[in-house]
Amino acid sequence: MAHFDTEYQRLEASYSDSPPGEENLLMHVPEGAKSQWHHIENLDLFFQRVYNLHQKNGFTCMLLGEIFELVQLLFVVGFTVFLANCVDYDILFANKFVNHTDSSKVTLPDAFLPVDVCSARIRDNAFVIFVLIISGVFWLHRLVKFIYNVCCYWEIRSFYINALKMTMSELPYATWQEVQARIVEIQKEHQICIHKKELTELDIYHRILRFKNYMVAMVNKSLLPVRFRPPVLGECVFFTRGLKYNFELIFFWGPGSLFENEWSLKPEYKRGGNRLELADRLASRILWIGIANLLLCPVILVWQILYAFFSYTEVIKREPGSLGARCWSLYGRCYLRHFNELDHELMSRLSKGYKAASKYMNCFLSPLLTVVAKNVAFFAGSLLAVLIALTIYDEDVLAVEHVLSSITLLGVCITVCRSFIPDKNMVFCPEQLLRVILAHIHYMPDHWQGNAHRYETRDQFSQLFQYKAVFILEELISPVVTPIILIFSLRRKSLEIIDFFRNFTVEVVGVGDTCSFAQMDIRQHGHPAWMSEGKTEASIYQQAEDGKTELSLMHFAITNPQWQPPQETTHFISQLKERVHREATGAPSDTNPLSLSESEPRSLIANILGPSTLTSVHFGRDSSLTNHAAAGINDGASALRSLSPVSSSLHLRGSLSAAHRAAGHTSAMSKGMAGSGTDARTVSSGSSAWEGQLTSLVLSEYASTEMSIHALYMHELHKQQSRGELSRHTWHRQDSDESSDSVPDEVRSEPNPHSRHFPRSHTFPTTVASPSAIPTSASACATGSTTLGQEGASSQSSTQRRFSGSDSFGAGGKAVRSARVPMGGWAEDGQAAPRHHDPLPEESSEDEMPPHIHKVT
Amino acid sequence: MNCRSEVLEVTVEARQVEEAMLALLHTILLHRSTGKFHYKKEGTYSIGTVGTLDIDCDFIDFTFVRVSSEELDRVIRKAVSEFKDALSNSGSDGMGQISLEFYQKKKSRWPFSDECIPWEVWSIKVNVVNLANEQERQICREKVGEKLGEKVINVVEVINRHEYLPKMPTQSEVDNVFDTSLKDVQPYLYKITFQITDSLGTSVSTTMRRLIKDTLAL
Repeated sequence: MAHFDTEYQRLEASYSDSPPGEENLLMHVPEGAKSQWHHIENLDLFFQRVYNLHQKNGFTCMLLGEIFELVQLLFVVGFTVFLANCVDYDILFANKFVNHTDSSKVTLPDAFLPVDVCSARIRDNAFVIFVLIISGVFWLHRLVKFIYNVCCYWEIRSFYINALKMTMSELPYATWQEVQARIVEIQKEHQICIHKKELTELDIYHRILRFKNYMVAMVNKSLLPVRFRPPVLGECVFFTRGLKYNFELIFFWGPGSLFENEWSLKPEYKRGGNRLELADRLASRILWIGIANLLLCPVILVWQILYAFFSYTEVIKREPGSLGARCWSLYGRCYLRHFNELDHELMSRLSKGYKAASKYMNCFLSPLLTVVAKNVAFFAGSLLAVLIALTIYDEDVLAVEHVLSSITLLGVCITVCRSFIPDKNMVFCPEQLLRVILAHIHYMPDHWQGNAHRYETRDQFSQLFQYKAVFILEELISPVVTPIILIFSLRRKSLEIIDFFRNFTVEVVGVGDTCSFAQMDIRQHGHPAWMSEGKTEASIYQQAEDGKTELSLMHFAITNPQWQPPQETTHFISQLKERVHREATGAPSDTNPLSLSESEPRSLIANILGPSTLTSVHFGRDSSLTNHAAAGINDGASALRSLSPVSSSLHLRGSLSAAHRAAGHTSAMSKGMAGSGTDARTVSSGSSAWEGQLTSLVLSEYASTEMSIHALYMHELHKQQSRGELSRHTWHRQDSDESSDSVPDEVRSEPNPHSRHFPRSHTFPTTVASPSAIPTSASACATGSTTLGQEGASSQSSTQRRFSGSDSFGAGGKAVRSARVPMGGWAEDGQAAPRHHDPLPEESSEDEMPPHIHKVT
Repeated sequence: MNCRSEVLEVTVEARQVEEAMLALLHTILLHRSTGKFHYKKEGTYSIGTVGTLDIDCDFIDFTFVRVSSEELDRVIRKAVSEFKDALSNSGSDGMGQISLEFYQKKKSRWPFSDECIPWEVWSIKVNVVNLANEQERQICREKVGEKLGEKVINVVEVINRHEYLPKMPTQSEVDNVFDTSLKDVQPYLYKITFQITDSLGTSVSTTMRRLIKDTLAL
């Protein structure tokens, strides 16, 4: 082959197998998937696990805790079976003698039966076998769950370490807010949620609490059948974990539930078209689940006993008195929970209220019981004294049969009796105690205020705050009662449930379907009687009761200061904060937008803190706070003591705006604070320094105090407003109410604000006209305008009238909507029960019902 | 679900189903495909070329652009004709849904199998109508063409938004993001599934799986 010498030469083969023209190609550098945390499939579950791991203080703690639980369960079951079958009690009680060769002492191993006898006894006993099988299944279930969890949480652990850059050892000392802030931070980098560039705190809360928010809303709207009137017991609340589990099974995740998957409601439930058919289907599902519950009843019962035994033996062992102690009931937790409130937030709030609540409950000792208890204690005490004296004289007395046990029994008897005898040095002020409780629990029915000393109030409060023993007892009978509730009460509500889920589900981009209440939108769900007057466009059906929307909003905004709410909401929050602030500093409220009445006390806050003692104090501009503090100390009531964090924070707030005032003010305050048992250091450090710190995350404890003030303030304002509303109400009713034509005359009678009748609240209906009657609106309760009987008999008409009355009061030009046939189509039910559900005005056409679901961006 | 979902709805005649589906699926895939990656030693790569092809429809007044890859076309055609058969055999009122799901694989540790996590789902809802005479067919031919044109614009608008896309992978991870089985083109991993309206609703197996998962959850 000839060799040509040209300028065209063969390239040195470096890329021998690449296509020609390689040098001109654009070269790219792959980013690669640097982390595995981008784009997580199930964010709900993921966030829940992140939260759980945080609450359980890290991976190791969780692992150890679960392993010990497994071992404990084995031990409890094994030991119980052993005690029941393998011990010869005759030997222990010395009814039977053992013949020992070496010594006459009975040893413990003597009392054990031989292995073969023992196993034969177990084999013959069908009940023991049954229990063993169930507990075996239970244990295996937990074991599998444990292994599964370890695998899942290992991933979360590496998420904490690699993505959030938090080690497991520092996790117990990090607040959830910090963890959350980091999650929000890394979203920008990793895009764990692909819909949005940035996550907000509310998104995370929505995902973690999606179903809990629904439950809270359903309890708030009294949709779940948890109140009953059994013949003997009177009105009671029955809501157990078993029942709750069944509710969740039916609504959220069970086979054929309303939800398609964790984040979206099935599309057919979003359309109003075939709601009746869907309701039928739901009813039949509830029936089947109820029957299944009934059939599985014995199994669940044993399971439940095991579970209770397992969970509570330890508690009872450690602290025998704890059975008598109370706890917040499951219903109470649902009733008191804000929308978007995580477990630990709720728990800390309720724990703070615990002391005051138990004190309040202890006020109501029955005098009859006290007399009996005193005397029983006297007799038991004398017997005990004699026995003890004899024992001291000669300890052989103890060897006499049953002396030791009678001493023990008498001791227990005296202890029990003593708990019924009130401490004679205690002075109780139920009204103040209730106020302290309110500062922590944030919700209570309106009619409690001013009626704190009544037995009815106490009974209703005990529904929220029950004896632990009652709690356990309810859990134990729950397997029997649950199917009955499911079959007989829940089934009847299926149509309302379907309507509820359709009307109150919104699709939020990046979150999925959530409960619309959880959006905390004042405009959609605000209650005019709770400060969202004029801002809310909600019909009665859409309003959250007890000011839940407003209080939840405040709570969320205070616990998550970084959160940026929508425009109107921001306005609401800042307005409220400013007002609380102003009241706290005692400035004249001449620009009060509400201007309810001329008599609105300038010192609302002072009113809140101690209505009985402080109203008499004359409030000067500058000295108001010191006066107040002094009054607080002078009062000396132990109840007010526990409010001191509240008042201290008030002082702080006050001092913010009053930084320019005389320095003597501050010192006087710090004196007062020291007196009221607060940390004086906080105040003396100077007032202006607080401005920055109060808003920072570090002082998250202040958040709860701040929330307490706001809750109290809102309740107080609500009380006053509903009083004011009452007077306007009656005035308006004469001329501007179209729908009142059919109202019987006697209901129109002039209401008496200081009526002696016990006013009712929505969520605490003590008189229910018919089982399916929906209680009237909360705005009605505060007015106290109708008597009990009238409320029962003519609640429909009075609701309408009241509703329209308050409507025209709220926004003058608004049309009266109450006469319309609701979207739910209650009219066609043919039930006589009063329905007040109000349609969305634009959706009231009956033939074609557009889906209520709308996108929220 | 942590994934975008887009819904397109079309109303077509029975004989147009195949072409309409092909047009939409190909349009989406055109924008979700790249040329083959050629990785270099230094952790860089170059991208091969992709040709395009204009396809004229027989039963619709419409022309669409697709990637000129016979292999890809074959795969799509197979899925679409299965869908068409199922639709005509169902005997119902001719409602169906075909969905194109783009997903990512995530390697997981031993006891679990690899997860396929979707990041974008396109659902095309089809409504088949019966036409009485030739004139109506003629009108339908034009109208469907216009409608498809709108849908294509729709698709392009969605795709032009700056939204989440899987990051470009390194050589070892390329199989987790792209479908590398084709010789001349490399689309994102995708899956085509279809449903005829009768069988809508969750199947028993998914319910069971959820039930088990939920009992296991903490």
